[in-house]
Amino acid sequence: MDRQRLIVIVFIVVSFLGFLDASYLTIEHYQNATLPCVIFKGCEQVTTSAYSKVFGLPLALYGAAYYLFMLIISVFYFDTKNEPAFKILKYVPVTGFLASAYFVYLQLFVIHALCTYCVISAITSTTLFILSFFLTYLGSQVDISGQRT
Amino acid sequence: MENNQNLSKKELYEINRVAKKNAAETAAKKKRAKSAIIWSVVGLLVVGSVFGLIILANRSSDPGPSPIITTAVSPDDLTVGNKDSKNILIEYSDFQCPACKAYHPLVKQLIKEHGQEFLFVYRHFPLPQHAQAKPAAYASEAAANQGKFWEMHDMIFDKQTDWAEKGNADEIFRKYAEALKLDMTKYDEDISLPAIENKVSDQYKSGVANFVNSTPTFFLNGKKIQPRSYEDFVKLIQEANG
Repeated sequence: MDRQRLIVIVFIVVSFLGFLDASYLTIEHYQNATLPCVIFKGCEQVTTSAYSKVFGLPLALYGAAYYLFMLIISVFYFDTKNEPAFKILKYVPVTGFLASAYFVYLQLFVIHALCTYCVISAITSTTLFILSFFLTYLGSQVDISGQRT
Repeated sequence: MENNQNLSKKELYEINRVAKKNAAETAAKKKRAKSAIIWSVVGLLVVGSVFGLIILANRSSDPGPSPIITTAVSPDDLTVGNKDSKNILIEYSDFQCPACKAYHPLVKQLIKEHGQEFLFVYRHFPLPQHAQAKPAAYASEAAANQGKFWEMHDMIFDKQTDWAEKGNADEIFRKYAEALKLDMTKYDEDISLPAIENKVSDQYKSGVANFVNSTPTFFLNGKKIQPRSYEDFVKLIQEANG
């Protein structure tokens, strides 16, 4: 159980980092309209590409919402040990992971530019996905011990 | 204990029940307090960090001590404004850079309203990741050879999204040249002149020598400035005027 608690804490921290990253990009988007173009870096190319918006809103905003949601759910689970919340922690990070994988693909093979903030987001969402694996594994362990007692 | 013995079973049961109830209530209270603390901390962290990020993104970034660059305006330089002014505003810019496009109207307005107070110099800094930045620079220089650099410059920036991602940007620039009623025979000759290519690459090198690593980069009288708005520009120009 303690290990599960630890993983949930890491989950909370990583969600928070992802939230910070995506929020920063969102705020930059709305405040500065454009990031300056830095030599050999492609952030402005990525954040102004046709792929950077979905339904008129910047992708970074969806990212921030996703991480905030995961943050709230993980804190909620940490606080209440609520079973449906646990299911969300186990199964939702795969969507974040797939979305990130698609965005990295777009950056590498379609836009031909990598944005640091987007790469950080890919790392955090992948970490959440890996953590969700651990939760699934530990979760089933707890279930078994629960049946035995 | 003796008292307990005197109590009936029913009374004992009642005492136990109340004790259990109290214990449960205390536990529930503790749990509520713990939840309240957890959620307050998380709430404060989230709200606080969003405010922090807004300030971070909005701060009038301090350029810090920057090297004083050579302000020497070469005869080759593309200038507009007051040639006799002691104030020289140099922009290192990339036609394909969205941030340069975003600054374009500010600079245009500044020249229109305060053009007597400074000389504006435009220098090419086509970034390697922008495939069409160099062709755009060449097109603007070909127009410059016919005295229409600023018209071409405006057109290229205004229509940036029309050509930035296209493979046939060259043809699009040619259409702009036609629209500006340039002599197209001369334009077609000039566009591939080594002189133009060299000029653009020399300006790029001068930017690198002056520690330019992003666009747009502005220098006012040799000092790097980072204006975030039109008002910032006006303030900086007025400060320079003393």
